[in-house]
Amino acid sequence: MKNNNYIKINVILAAFGMMIASCTDNENPTVETPPVEEAYIELNGGGTTFPNMVFVDLSAEEQVAVRRDSWDFAFSNGTAFQVLINGTTGAMAYETAYTAFSEVDEAYVNNLKSSGSLDLNFNNLSGILRVDNPSNPLNNGSVFGNLANNEQDAKVFIVNRGESGADTREWKKVKIYVSNNKYIIEHAPTNSIEVTKVEVSKNESHNFTYFSIDNGIVEVEPVKEKWDFVWTAGTSSTPYAQATDGTLAYFFQDLVYHNIYGGVGAQEILESDLSYEDFDIQDLQGLNFNVDNRLTIGSNWRSGGGPTSSPSAREDRYYIIKDKAGNHYKLRFLSLTTGGERGRPSLEYALIK
Amino acid sequence: MFRIDLNKLSIFLTCICFCFAFSNAIAGVKGQVKDEKGQAVPYATIQWGDGKGVLADENGNFELPDHLNQSKIKVTAIGYEAKVITLSNHVDLTVKLTPLVQHLDEVVVTGNVDPQSARQSVYQVRTISKEIIQNRAASNLQEVLNTELGIRFSQDNALGSSNLEMLGLSGQNVKILIDGVPMVGRQGVNNEININQIDINQIERIEIVEGPMSVVYGADALAGVINIITKRPGDTKILLNARVQEETVGQGYQPLTGSGNHIRSVQGQYRIDESFSVSAGWTQNDFGGWKGDFEGRQYSWLPKTQNLGMAQLNFGSEDIDLSYGIDYLNESITSFGPENRVETVDSEFVTRRVMHRLTGSYALNQKLKAAIQAGYTDYQRNTITTYTNVRTGETGLSNAPGSQAVLNYNGLNVRLTSIWDMHEHLAWTVGVDFNQEVGSGERISTNEGINDLAFFISGEWKPTASFSLRPGVRRTYNSAYKAPPLIPSVNGRWDLSQSLALKFGYARGFRAPSIRELYFDFFDASHSIVGNPDLQAETSHSYQASLSWLNSMGRNIKLESTINSFYNDIDNQITYGISPDDPRLTSLFNLENFRTGGVMLRNKLILNKHSLDFGISRIGRYNQISSENPDLASLLWTTELNANIGVYLPLVDSHLHLFYKWTGALPAFVADSDSVDVFRPVQLDGFHWMDLTMKKTLFGSMDLTFGARNLLDVKNVQSSLGEGSAHSGGASRPIGYGRSYFIGINYQLFK
Repeated sequence: MKNNNYIKINVILAAFGMMIASCTDNENPTVETPPVEEAYIELNGGGTTFPNMVFVDLSAEEQVAVRRDSWDFAFSNGTAFQVLINGTTGAMAYETAYTAFSEVDEAYVNNLKSSGSLDLNFNNLSGILRVDNPSNPLNNGSVFGNLANNEQDAKVFIVNRGESGADTREWKKVKIYVSNNKYIIEHAPTNSIEVTKVEVSKNESHNFTYFSIDNGIVEVEPVKEKWDFVWTAGTSSTPYAQATDGTLAYFFQDLVYHNIYGGVGAQEILESDLSYEDFDIQDLQGLNFNVDNRLTIGSNWRSGGGPTSSPSAREDRYYIIKDKAGNHYKLRFLSLTTGGERGRPSLEYALIK
Repeated sequence: MFRIDLNKLSIFLTCICFCFAFSNAIAGVKGQVKDEKGQAVPYATIQWGDGKGVLADENGNFELPDHLNQSKIKVTAIGYEAKVITLSNHVDLTVKLTPLVQHLDEVVVTGNVDPQSARQSVYQVRTISKEIIQNRAASNLQEVLNTELGIRFSQDNALGSSNLEMLGLSGQNVKILIDGVPMVGRQGVNNEININQIDINQIERIEIVEGPMSVVYGADALAGVINIITKRPGDTKILLNARVQEETVGQGYQPLTGSGNHIRSVQGQYRIDESFSVSAGWTQNDFGGWKGDFEGRQYSWLPKTQNLGMAQLNFGSEDIDLSYGIDYLNESITSFGPENRVETVDSEFVTRRVMHRLTGSYALNQKLKAAIQAGYTDYQRNTITTYTNVRTGETGLSNAPGSQAVLNYNGLNVRLTSIWDMHEHLAWTVGVDFNQEVGSGERISTNEGINDLAFFISGEWKPTASFSLRPGVRRTYNSAYKAPPLIPSVNGRWDLSQSLALKFGYARGFRAPSIRELYFDFFDASHSIVGNPDLQAETSHSYQASLSWLNSMGRNIKLESTINSFYNDIDNQITYGISPDDPRLTSLFNLENFRTGGVMLRNKLILNKHSLDFGISRIGRYNQISSENPDLASLLWTTELNANIGVYLPLVDSHLHLFYKWTGALPAFVADSDSVDVFRPVQLDGFHWMDLTMKKTLFGSMDLTFGARNLLDVKNVQSSLGEGSAHSGGASRPIGYGRSYFIGINYQLFK
């Protein structure tokens, strides 16, 4: 990764500032690192197959890259009990009418497979019913919905673990319910009733606890205060008349979610209203930060290209991000590519003070 | 990349010819130019070697310098056929010219081995002569064919190419031949050939045959055949042609290179002896691109540079004709990516094509003749993608997969034909046709190529001079797909009277699945497309009938009218669908039916030195939705009108040509956005196209052409198709880059 000189200077300045702070302010030995003032970042998305999701902490100028296919379920650590499937691999889930694994045999699953209703593509016009709500799944609805409070009432779901930009993996039969304030997940191969049962406890330092069918509980997103947005690929939607509810579930590359469950707000500003360079602290007044739709940045920051143009980062807009600590950053995306390769976007941002 | 600066050469030639033009002819041989009836032909041009010449006066009288004994002179006059004669101590020379009107009936070769009068041919053939190509001052074939009835183009501006559609069928169904040899393009042999990758300066004439000539030419001509006939060496010892043309594009023009369109060409021929001759040529087309609505780096019409070379060796004797030629193409199209604050990504598409052609015939005796038409083409297309970091200046080849792609096609085609004139009323044509096609490159799965062997036989039965019938049959064996077992056809001609001729035909046509349809795989985040190696050929029943009427009303007035109708019924049309084995995959299947039909009326009027061509066509395309919605019309009709007007202006001794076409709206139905079962009519709007050119011959050897192309300033036409859908091509389609002006010089030297 390349760094521009001014970033290095900033780091030095910041370190210098810390030294001064620690020399003069003896009363407070746990000095907080001041927020980064300006930075340029190339995101380590992993390249054209965009294998990673990248969590970015603007004030610390840090990025954390995690493979998209490293997890299967995200258990909410919020007050309610809710679970999300892995939209970043295009996972889909189908609720069966049955509560026992034995009632869902392989023939049933094969029927579902050949119907195409658990495939995320534009031939599947009812796909939107089999995915979590793209903009705010905890509030607007997830495919698993309200979880049962006991094993008997929990329905068996058939889960396609997603093959959008990810290797095809075995489908699973899954039951998730709540017991003693803990999540219980039971899963089995589609051709057997050999059930694996795992207990997942809440962990309030993170928005979600991530679970992988192959590896159990896994580390995915950083502590909830330590990231502002995640760059990824993932399931979103596009208006399409013939699809159910006029909405087609569609897989997007270069999708950005800001951390609405960690208290981060975002607002889009058009250059034609106020230029990035001219935006300063007075202009924050009256901004209405979006905290309930994680798609404020979404795929709006880039154009998908068309018959005569290639995809590109839109230069006509930028974003104001308000982090959990109350810092305001102006941020603009610069490029979809590094070295001509998609999946390595770059961006720059500056603290508004 | 090869680059020859033809500018210097042509300036040099221009200087030479100016020098000669000002040298006065020395008094010597006197002569007069007359027509067949002995009437004087005024203002004829008499040329001899090195570009010298004199002009006859209004009574056809001229005088030649006396040193011209034993030399050849060429006499040209507007409205008459050019004539070359050898001087031999004439004192008083009378040159008789034949009016061009007599040659209204063109010669055609498509479907036959020997040239034949178009009226005598059982096929309905349209021809476009090199004179028309010159009058249009065209830089590519599209600029010649875009005012033809039944032909339309769709511009693929992402790749900088264009696709041709004929009689309501896509370019996959139009067979493009050069001297009878099929061409290879980006999609394989004879599949959506980009006709703009052909050197227009080498064309003698273009023959357009409507309907599948499948017995003779095999697959892929469901709509018809476009056979490009290249120039053949003439009798002159040395012939040299040079052409320079400069053209504006949109608002932009820079001299010689950069924005605008720049054409330089030189073609030469040398006759070694009675039997051998060689010819060679080079053309460079340099198109600077057109930005259109883009303000920054991007172009809506991509800049393009073409170098086209040709060399040919010909042998001719009493019973043998043999010609070997090599054609070379190097085309580079640059696609500039959008501006970016960090890095820009540009692509270059480089096409290199080498085509070898061998054509020949051998007359064993008066009744038996054998012919060969063979070609081998090596086609390669490279995509080169580079990135530039605008902050650091760092540049390099893009790392992205697929950004450095190579696509390779090799096509071999050998056709052996023999013609046996059994007796006066019956002639047989027997042939064997071998085609081999190998394709490789990114996204094409491994394949062993396609071998195709076919035998054909046809007989032409002429019980009387006014009637002929030509039935034929072809049997094809193909290694990759199941070819239709037997392909029959029958064509006939019946002269109802001296001026009225009827032609009719039936043919079973077929289109072979292309290498891409068989083996092309494409996977990314939102596409999973696989080729289908089990595809069968698309087949059609094609019916044609035409009636043509030729009338000469007086010496210099002729009118010819042709009404032509056709109907094609296509089965097993290849189309995309969801794989029944795996719903995640999209593949290709022989699913659909398609139909086209139409009527075309064409008229040609020659009035002294003026000419008028005008026509109208109505072409219907099958409305696929109508099979499930019987309330909707099953054929959707499009009207086209065209007119070519040639006017001779005696005052300035120039020809003015106007080329015009109205391409009518293309209707369709699509599912309504509110409801799945309701279909709303949509259309691609129609548009007018007009070119105006003026041609003046200077000093006998130089043609000055200037004019305006796309006079009505057409850029895009609106389409109400696909509004708001995930895969819409946008609401408008590119047609042209606006009005442009051009000036060109064509210089000819012969000895």
